[in-house]
Amino acid sequence: MRQFGLFYRKEMLEMARSYKWIWVPMVFLLLGVMQPVTTYYMPEILKHAGNMPAGTIITMPTPTAGEVLAQTLNQFGTIGVLVLVLSMMGIVSGERQSGVTSLIFTKPVSFIAYMTAKWASMLTLTAAAFACGYAGACYYTIQLIGSLDVGTVIQAGLMYMLWFVFVISVLLLISAWLPNSAGVAFTTMAFIMLLSFGTSLLSRYLSWSPSRLSTIASEILTKVETLSSVGPVLWISLCSILICVMLAVYRMQSQESISAKA
Amino acid sequence: MNITVNWGLLAPILAIQLILMVTALTSLYKADATRGPKWMWVLIIVFGQILGPIIYFVVGRNDRS
Repeated sequence: MRQFGLFYRKEMLEMARSYKWIWVPMVFLLLGVMQPVTTYYMPEILKHAGNMPAGTIITMPTPTAGEVLAQTLNQFGTIGVLVLVLSMMGIVSGERQSGVTSLIFTKPVSFIAYMTAKWASMLTLTAAAFACGYAGACYYTIQLIGSLDVGTVIQAGLMYMLWFVFVISVLLLISAWLPNSAGVAFTTMAFIMLLSFGTSLLSRYLSWSPSRLSTIASEILTKVETLSSVGPVLWISLCSILICVMLAVYRMQSQESISAKA
Repeated sequence: MNITVNWGLLAPILAIQLILMVTALTSLYKADATRGPKWMWVLIIVFGQILGPIIYFVVGRNDRS
């Protein structure tokens, strides 16, 4: 437990030194704020778009506050996930390449403490960034579009946060596996995108997939009848997060003991 | 083009962009070495809108040094 605290503080310091604590939340805040503002100005933007034939009339139903927030979550799901993956792709491989990892493991250090501290620090940064962006989006939506129900907002936010936790757990697992950070980012993004695509294509069969979490969050906000029951999705997500972290610890352990013997 | 712009609405967005840009430039100034010449990164950060600082933080920083 002492080691965990030590490693956790070290990860936090490293994230602060590389400015991640500033730029990742800022990007999320920007993403969150942009969506309601763009929606608000959309009629005006279309009116001034040049290449429209004269007399074109575009009527758009004004989206409800919940719909705008759901669109914001969509933005987080694409650009947000990309930013998260890119910002944390080097969390294991960077240290491995610079030789810090083998230096650390010359000491009797617990692999569990080492990896879970990394996971916890990733979780902290993600939660902070998501909270920033989500709060900004809520504020602007309330100001510009309409009132929101606090309960549903929090519920949807928690659902979406769990999806992010799943993403960073997959990221940790893959970064324990692959040697270079670009490969980690690419593989993680490919996996997440395939999972999302597959789930939306075969939604009837994959109603338990963790990627349903993001859909459920949007459905809570837009008050659409959910296709899937929430229970299995929650359980499968939690289990797969646990499995990812455990496999990452296991992989780290086996690899480092091999390189120590060599 | 005379869109009536509510500046009170857009000010926070511009402020966030400015913070991102300044952070990236500070980091660039303090860095010993980057991938590629520094003046190129200055151009990317300043003219790259939102993406500029992100690209710099992801690709440009040479954390190993």
